[in-house]
Amino acid sequence: MSKGLKNVFIAILVVFMSLSLFAGCGSDDQTGTGDNEQPVQTGQSDESAQPSEADDDNVSFHSDQPLKFSLLYSSNPDYPYKEDWLIWKAIKDKTNVSFDVMVVPMSDYAQKRSLLISTGDAPYIIPKTYHPDEVQFIPSGAILPVSDYVDKMPNFSRQVKEWGLEDEINTYKQKDGKYYLLPGLHEILTPDYGVAMRTDILEKNNIPLPNTWDEMYEALKKLKQLYPDTYPLSDRYQAKSLLNIAAPTFGKAAAGWGAGDGVYYDRDNDKFIFYPTTDDYKNFLAYFNKLIKEGLMDPESFTQNDDQAIQKFVTGKSFVISANSQHLTGLRKTMDETVGKDAYEVKKLIPPAGPAGPVITGSRLENGIMISSKAKDDPNFEQMLKFIDWLWYSDEGQILCKWGVEGTTYKRTADGKFELMPDITFQWMNPSGTKDLRKDFGFGNGVFILMYGGPKYLAESYMSPEDLEFVNEVNSKRELLPAAPPILYDEGEREQANMLSTPLMDYVESMTLKFILGDASLESDWDKYVQDCKQKGSDRLVELANKVYQSTKDVLK
Amino acid sequence: MINSSRGYKVFQVVNVLIMLVVIFVTLYPFIYLAAISFSSESYVYAGEVAFLPKGFTTMTYEVLMKEKDFWTGYKNTIVYTIVGTAICLFMTTILAYPLSKKRLKGRGIILAFIVFTMYFNGGLIPNYLLVKHLGMRNTIWAITIPGAISTYNMIIMRTFFEGLPNELEEAAMIDGMGTYRILVSIILPLSKPIMATMALFYAVGAWNNWFGPFLYFDKQEMFPVTLYLRNMIAGAQQTAVSSGSNTEDLTQIAATVKAATTILTVLPILCVYPFIQKYFVAGVMIGSLKE
Repeated sequence: MSKGLKNVFIAILVVFMSLSLFAGCGSDDQTGTGDNEQPVQTGQSDESAQPSEADDDNVSFHSDQPLKFSLLYSSNPDYPYKEDWLIWKAIKDKTNVSFDVMVVPMSDYAQKRSLLISTGDAPYIIPKTYHPDEVQFIPSGAILPVSDYVDKMPNFSRQVKEWGLEDEINTYKQKDGKYYLLPGLHEILTPDYGVAMRTDILEKNNIPLPNTWDEMYEALKKLKQLYPDTYPLSDRYQAKSLLNIAAPTFGKAAAGWGAGDGVYYDRDNDKFIFYPTTDDYKNFLAYFNKLIKEGLMDPESFTQNDDQAIQKFVTGKSFVISANSQHLTGLRKTMDETVGKDAYEVKKLIPPAGPAGPVITGSRLENGIMISSKAKDDPNFEQMLKFIDWLWYSDEGQILCKWGVEGTTYKRTADGKFELMPDITFQWMNPSGTKDLRKDFGFGNGVFILMYGGPKYLAESYMSPEDLEFVNEVNSKRELLPAAPPILYDEGEREQANMLSTPLMDYVESMTLKFILGDASLESDWDKYVQDCKQKGSDRLVELANKVYQSTKDVLK
Repeated sequence: MINSSRGYKVFQVVNVLIMLVVIFVTLYPFIYLAAISFSSESYVYAGEVAFLPKGFTTMTYEVLMKEKDFWTGYKNTIVYTIVGTAICLFMTTILAYPLSKKRLKGRGIILAFIVFTMYFNGGLIPNYLLVKHLGMRNTIWAITIPGAISTYNMIIMRTFFEGLPNELEEAAMIDGMGTYRILVSIILPLSKPIMATMALFYAVGAWNNWFGPFLYFDKQEMFPVTLYLRNMIAGAQQTAVSSGSNTEDLTQIAATVKAATTILTVLPILCVYPFIQKYFVAGVMIGSLKE
């Protein structure tokens, strides 16, 4: 070996040796927090703990032995994770279970979740997952098909059955007929998006609040006559919320946020159709075309950013705008400055009814829980299932998570209503309180609850009077369209469907705008549009969807 | 410059004007944030704050002062920055110095290996697995060791060392100094400018680093302040964007609080620049050698 080469080898050797030296250092420092390589925590003893009493309905959960389960925790910047929150102690006192918490900033929760799952480092319990985010983890087998275990979760199973959520749960199923995400459940639909109107202007001019799209047209028309320099309706969210709400009321149609992949389930004929070429869709386009043509709706609604739309609304250049309850509060805050307190009135109307009736779309499922596959090998696996069932789904567990400890954070009034202790504030409750239910105690925590989820009385207990009125009105006067059954594509079929629908829907979206804005005519250009859709594969897409749907029907039974 | 020509005067005026524009463009974001952080909320929402605070208040800062997590993060960031910069400087120096010596055999091959890492790396998951199996997760080493040597910085430093006259070392050697003594007593004192520059680069990098801590830390009490800030700003935005059918678990953090947090986060590292600038003086080598 030449001398030069030898030196090179020595140099490389030195580099590697010093590297391993540092590795050694790292390991030594690690001993203090040695459980990190194995975030999985089991009970103190090896033998499986038994439930303390026979409680088949899992109304109350208590483990005989102290248990510890690992939990992925999304830390909301509004109430960052604190170790000494009362909620941890309250859960421990009630159930004898504590968490080994892995704290992840909410801003990048999804990324860390993917990383942990793909490196096999994920905790047992992974909450705050939105469908279909769980699908990417299924092929590797890293998460459990929770549907196999729901018989061990009495509260969850009972709620699904009693609240009639089976059809919606079906939409979470995969090709194997199982679902991998334990969704959060709502007893009542809690829609949030509606149409906000300047009710003071309407009242002043004796215009009734519109209940249908036709009445909306009349109202806008009168506003235009009275204020000819304005566009009465100038929308935000690029009108995607408005179109989303409006389209289903015209029949077999969807649009905006709900546009999807163009495939629509026709319940009458039990098959899928391509909705953007239906007559219903055409009527829907004609309606909005009419608004634009007569100057009732701002053509910029589809392109302007939210701030521009808000600016017009708060300065009295428009009177109608889409909003959710939080954005409504934002509007009011700004208008207190621009128009003056008490000089205006804004109300969020429930979605107007259309030719197809007072229908709305929506889901009563929300973000839910994934369970790591390795949890199955834990001797306390069944206890963990029961614990999850209790904490996230039982009345007792959810009261604890939402309201805290009776006598400390809340009290029940004589008629069973919940009331925070006078010193504690939360959202719209007790604005003068000095302590915050979430920031200082950890209750009302999005990791453990859905704000308006769970049983009706608990959902309503969290709503401000205005939200409560809105939700009640929607639920009593509007009819929720049933969920479409899922199309159980396998991987190849899904890709094929996406290849067809992506360019197709791009075309549909641009043509939708052209039809509404009048750049394309609904009389002369419609046939060509239908032809173009066919040419771009709308028939093939529908054919594929129906083929897959018919062949996998038995899986959904 | 009494007799400077017309053309030169014009040049000066134009030059100053352009510079003023550049200064304004770079400075304005800070002015804007500072103005917001001292304004009362209603003016900010109405979009009326541009240069000066409206409805002046220090409330925001008072609220932030009470935020325990923020200060824990702050403390962490300072520790990570100091430790990280020290490790980085040490490691970079002991690699750059030998590589600057022509007599080192196989120098080209070693350099080739090092430069290779500038263009290729294992990627996120392998890196994570490496750190995990080294047992560094949830320790300060996870964010200070793996990136201890920035190839780019090392090459700059090596070039600087190469520029130092060889005769200095020869003279020291004749006086009986060993290799390490030469590095510590002769080379390093002459290298203050490059050391200051490198320290600044590394310190800024360590101060701003949120991704490493985000990957390797699972405990809130270990998070640096940048991660706190990131969660506050990006987390709040995320909830606003994900406008599905339900808006649950909403985050409402006032723009004023965001601005104040940003200001407090960037201010210290910004203050480092003027202090290090004095080392950027040219001609430290003048007079060290007579040829």
